[in-house]
Amino acid sequence: MATFKEVKVSGFEEFDQAVKEHKGKTIFAYFSGSKDAEGKSWCPDCVEAEPVVREGLKHVTEDCVFIYCQVGDRPYWKDPNNDFRQKLKVTAVPTLLKYGTPQKLVESECCQSNLVEMMFSED
Amino acid sequence: MSSPPGRRARLSSPGTSHQPPDAREELRRRLKDLIEGNRVMIFSKSYCPHSTRVKELFSSLGVDYNILELDQVDDGASVQEVLTEISNQKTVPNIFVNKVHVGGCDRTFQAHRSGLLQKLLNEDSAHDYDLIVIGGGSGGLSCAKEAANLGKKVMVLDFVVPSPQGSSWGLGGTCVNVGCIPKKLMHQAALLGQALQDSRKFGWEYSQQVKHNWEAMTEAIQNHIGSLNWSYRLTLREKGVTYVNAYGEFVEPHKIKATNKKGQETFYTGSKFVIATGERPQYLGIQGDKEYCITSDDLFSLPYCPGRTLVVGASYVGLECAGFLAGLGLDVTVIVRSVLLRGFDQEMAEKVGSYLEQQGIKFQRKFTPVSIQQMEKGSPGILKVVAKSTEGPETVEGVYNTVLLAIGRESCTRKIGLEKIGVKINEKNGKIPVNDVEQTNVPHVYAIGDILEGKPELTPVAIQAGKLLARRLFGGSLEKCDYVNVPTTVFTPLEYGCCGLSEEKAIEVHKKENLEVYHTLFWPLEWTVAGRDNNTCYAKIICNKFDNERVVGFHLLGPNAGEITQGFAAAMKCGLTKKLLNDTIGIHPTCGEVFTTLEITKSSGLDVTQKGC
Repeated sequence: MATFKEVKVSGFEEFDQAVKEHKGKTIFAYFSGSKDAEGKSWCPDCVEAEPVVREGLKHVTEDCVFIYCQVGDRPYWKDPNNDFRQKLKVTAVPTLLKYGTPQKLVESECCQSNLVEMMFSED
Repeated sequence: MSSPPGRRARLSSPGTSHQPPDAREELRRRLKDLIEGNRVMIFSKSYCPHSTRVKELFSSLGVDYNILELDQVDDGASVQEVLTEISNQKTVPNIFVNKVHVGGCDRTFQAHRSGLLQKLLNEDSAHDYDLIVIGGGSGGLSCAKEAANLGKKVMVLDFVVPSPQGSSWGLGGTCVNVGCIPKKLMHQAALLGQALQDSRKFGWEYSQQVKHNWEAMTEAIQNHIGSLNWSYRLTLREKGVTYVNAYGEFVEPHKIKATNKKGQETFYTGSKFVIATGERPQYLGIQGDKEYCITSDDLFSLPYCPGRTLVVGASYVGLECAGFLAGLGLDVTVIVRSVLLRGFDQEMAEKVGSYLEQQGIKFQRKFTPVSIQQMEKGSPGILKVVAKSTEGPETVEGVYNTVLLAIGRESCTRKIGLEKIGVKINEKNGKIPVNDVEQTNVPHVYAIGDILEGKPELTPVAIQAGKLLARRLFGGSLEKCDYVNVPTTVFTPLEYGCCGLSEEKAIEVHKKENLEVYHTLFWPLEWTVAGRDNNTCYAKIICNKFDNERVVGFHLLGPNAGEITQGFAAAMKCGLTKKLLNDTIGIHPTCGEVFTTLEITKSSGLDVTQKGC
């Protein structure tokens, strides 16, 4: 039974730091629009996808690190020059990716449990 | 369907309807047994063309049928009468599927088109899958996706046996991983190098010496390939196609064994199968070949620059690789046993070779390697190659960092259990002969892609064949793949695009006196300022004089030949003639426009050398 360690970060700097800290491990990253004081994200797809992603995570087949990253508020996200777009090529939320590989799911793909399951299964 | 005069002789005396009631009842029972006892029952007459069409339809679907030829039984006329009573249809062919009366020829084809026939046939649900595709390349994926779109339960098996050098790759087949895609990207890398050289003539000034970083290029290309592998897996999942990364082989007519990389075996059954296993590079069969040589399987992911390279073989794979390696600045030699680009127009092939030589690629013609020894290990190492002349005892020795074999590809059909289920292959080359609906000699087993005997080995051909096959099997379509006038391009640094017949083939098919060949050398505008030669690029069309000067062969050696040829291929599908070309006004200034102003024929003997514009 594989385990995952969850790391919660906000913003690009923290994300980058978290990746460095866990170098050498299998890293899954989930990028979501930031949540407000009531814990609700401005991104409706992110809200819908999160439970699907968390369910898929329970069945991960290899030990890994799961970085849950809140990208920022809506205006920040829409800015074409933000760090996520420029440095990480993450251009949509939600995005679920396996760091360092071409494997990623974007937007409504994150809401499909069969695709999420495929992400978390070992190659 | 009334019998033609003179054919009635054999059997049924006309008007045998005067049967005693018992005999009639007996006949009725017999016919009912036939209709109920056979999945498909065709009452036919052996000479009837409509009956033949219907039989061909079921054959092409891999569906068994039982026939009763009314002209070959004594009571044929009575049978026809009873059938009329049972089905309200007087004529033959008269078709019943799973006890349901479908009708005659027209109604059966209609039922096929509308999908009703498929419903009636009610594919055997005892099998795990409606369709199992062995091979996840261009053909296999196309067929699987289309079948899934049509609502079928589909499985794709894909497995890459690592090359002798240990190379392997993900889902997508040769084209995506070790063929068209990385090849075109490396070709582009080389062209950009050429463009940098030309750029100074266009006023660009820079003091840096421009170098090429092999590792950076390869990493970028492999990243793109990785994203394609992933996107194919996503697409299959989204369409509900089961993808298994395992080696598939037949164990029984409807059952395959899938062995994954850990050696675990699983078994699956399917109603229909498509073999799309593709090919792998051939080896020389000489000392040192598997240990020290690489092939296209290894080149595109090679983690170090290949350095001074010997390319063995002048197939398009060999020349394309030699071309871009030289374009990236490497020292390249091509060793050729006989002709360049076998199967292609040889005049064009020689021009391609000529250009490569001008670019600094060395050719050793009429030689073949006999031994390869490692002088030094390394990445790359140093290899010594001894080659023997094909015409005498002469040998030559050469020292290279890398030896790239490009001497041909062999079909992956010998170790997939075909002999267990009786699928015939061409023993000499492993290719599978199929009919015009891609069906093997075993009706429920089909084949597509590079493994087909006598068909072009091209991705778009496999994709089209796969899609149409799925539509015929599961979508009520009758459309067959059209293999005529398939265009292609050799992506050597100066590209060669062609569609239709080579000059040699045209002469063989149409005879020289019935052909008119128009040709010209030309100087692309972009080459003028760049100071490149004005008598290198060449265009020719081969026309059939006895068919309105129909263009039967199109050949172009020039920049962007691939892009240009595509449009002309569509024109040829529309029946392009010389007059239509003449009537088409060119776009100026382009290379493509030369085809709208071709005047000089080979038969005139006039010189096509350019004197500058």
